[in-house]
Amino acid sequence: MTIRARAALLLAPLLVLTACAAPAASPTMAPATQAPATQAPMTEAPMTEAPMTEAPMTETPATSTPAAEPDGHLARILEADTIIAFTDPAYPPQSFLNEETGDYEGFDIDVTLEIAERLGVSNVEFTTPSFDLVVAGNWADRFDMAVGSVTITEPRREVLDFTQPYYFTPAQLATHPDAGITDIAGFAGETICVGEATTYLDWLEGTLQLPAEAGEVADPPEGVVSTTLPTDLDCATAWQSGRFEFNGWLTAQPTAQAAIDEAFPVVLVGDPVFFEPLAVVFDGSVEDNDSLVAEVDRILGEMHADGTLTELSEKWYDGLDLTSQ
Amino acid sequence: MSGETVAQADQPTVVERLARAKVRARRLFRFKFFVVWVVLVAGFGVAFWFAGRVDPEFLRVSGPIIILRGVQITILLCLSSIVLATILAVLGALGRLSTNAYINGVASLYVSVVRGTPLLVQILFIYFGLPQLGIVLPAIPAGIIALSFNYGAYMTEIFRAGIQAVPPGQREAAAALGMPEHLIMRRIVLPQAIRIVVPAIGNEFIAMLKDSALVSVIAVQELLWWAQRLGRSALQPMTGLLLAAVVYWILTMAFSLLQERLERRLARSDR
Repeated sequence: MTIRARAALLLAPLLVLTACAAPAASPTMAPATQAPATQAPMTEAPMTEAPMTEAPMTETPATSTPAAEPDGHLARILEADTIIAFTDPAYPPQSFLNEETGDYEGFDIDVTLEIAERLGVSNVEFTTPSFDLVVAGNWADRFDMAVGSVTITEPRREVLDFTQPYYFTPAQLATHPDAGITDIAGFAGETICVGEATTYLDWLEGTLQLPAEAGEVADPPEGVVSTTLPTDLDCATAWQSGRFEFNGWLTAQPTAQAAIDEAFPVVLVGDPVFFEPLAVVFDGSVEDNDSLVAEVDRILGEMHADGTLTELSEKWYDGLDLTSQ
Repeated sequence: MSGETVAQADQPTVVERLARAKVRARRLFRFKFFVVWVVLVAGFGVAFWFAGRVDPEFLRVSGPIIILRGVQITILLCLSSIVLATILAVLGALGRLSTNAYINGVASLYVSVVRGTPLLVQILFIYFGLPQLGIVLPAIPAGIIALSFNYGAYMTEIFRAGIQAVPPGQREAAAALGMPEHLIMRRIVLPQAIRIVVPAIGNEFIAMLKDSALVSVIAVQELLWWAQRLGRSALQPMTGLLLAAVVYWILTMAFSLLQERLERRLARSDR
């Protein structure tokens, strides 16, 4: 009896130790195997074009020259030779899991890998906490960067650091076929479903403050009420399963289109209500982010100029170039 | 267990006939029970299938990934957590029964705080709170700590009850033999208490299997995470959730069976 009890006591910490050791290996594997395949064709382009196109397309902070001496957060990333990036693979075609292999795929994933490549960092680790934790800031050093199609808004600037936009998505209203809504005004007094902590929720509540470069923002229909579900697609899933507590859905146009293509009961209504400038974000509570933000911003300018972003957008968004408005 | 009959002649005795009738009745009961399960489960399956909520292609292509990668992490999480939680619970129970006011205070506060706050809140605190103290644990260890911390508190009460359920005569007899206090606890009380609490620990473990789904919010890629992400990626969220539900159910059934066996084994000395 006592010998067995002692053996059990010895085994317990062992089990815990293996548990702690295992995760370190697993998350790195998926992106590592994927990196060479997706990056190979793109890496050649910047070599020939980059020198001629130093000036970024969109207005950039005064950082068009490469950061002279990497310091702070950037230096730590370069030294570790590893960048930890956020992604939430629940949003095809931005970020999703390959159905057959379970690997990360999508536009945001490719942009992340390209940024890492141009930073000169050889390992990319993806981490996947829920999206609302990312836009809340204070990442507690859990990840370095999020290429998560995050919209630039004024309130978010207080907790996050943004680069220039790397692409723009149209915010699209949609309904289900039985609702009989045919134009945007038809949503007056209706309930509209949106994903948690999204800019779509801000728009419905009248608190959306986009930067000037975002262009015109339509007014929300009169008397609309919002309801949230954990992620955008859950709204369409509710309709598919026969829940019709709400007649509206506001989401990114590609997301709504993907749902329609998969035979969800969804119809698009009217023109996009606004265009979201989507940027790479960093945790604003990190003190020494400046050179990292500047360097990634410069890289994005380069990727705009040499056509890499357009190429990736056309690859993932059915030939659409969403990199400018 | 079944009645041992004394065969005297060729004619079956009354006792024998009664025993056979009992066996037959039990078999019939099992058969009917089995039929009810098969019919109901098949009915639900068919209903989902024809409602168009199940995509066989998704199950074929992505199902194995969800099951292989997800179940692995879920079981790793739960086994590690139940071991840690048991250690915490033994310490907690000894603390709760301690006559030392400081130790008792700490243990009681632990139980009170953990049982008084939602598990999801505790998970988020450990994920985002600990790094502010300079401890940045990867997602899986953070999840294990959250689960064991939470379950340790509930199991503290289970162990406390188990220790108190050991008849006081046992303790008195050991004391009368001159056994020191710490040995009485280790050799006399705890072994008997553990036998009393094993069924309850099994229940906690099964509950934990399902609660472990909550740590998917802090980037632990367990069963529900894989089911949800692959489901959304393929725009088949319902199929993903349904698969996750079935797998959790099978897991809990398997562990219930194990628990039953363990209980039967531990109950042997009672006879």
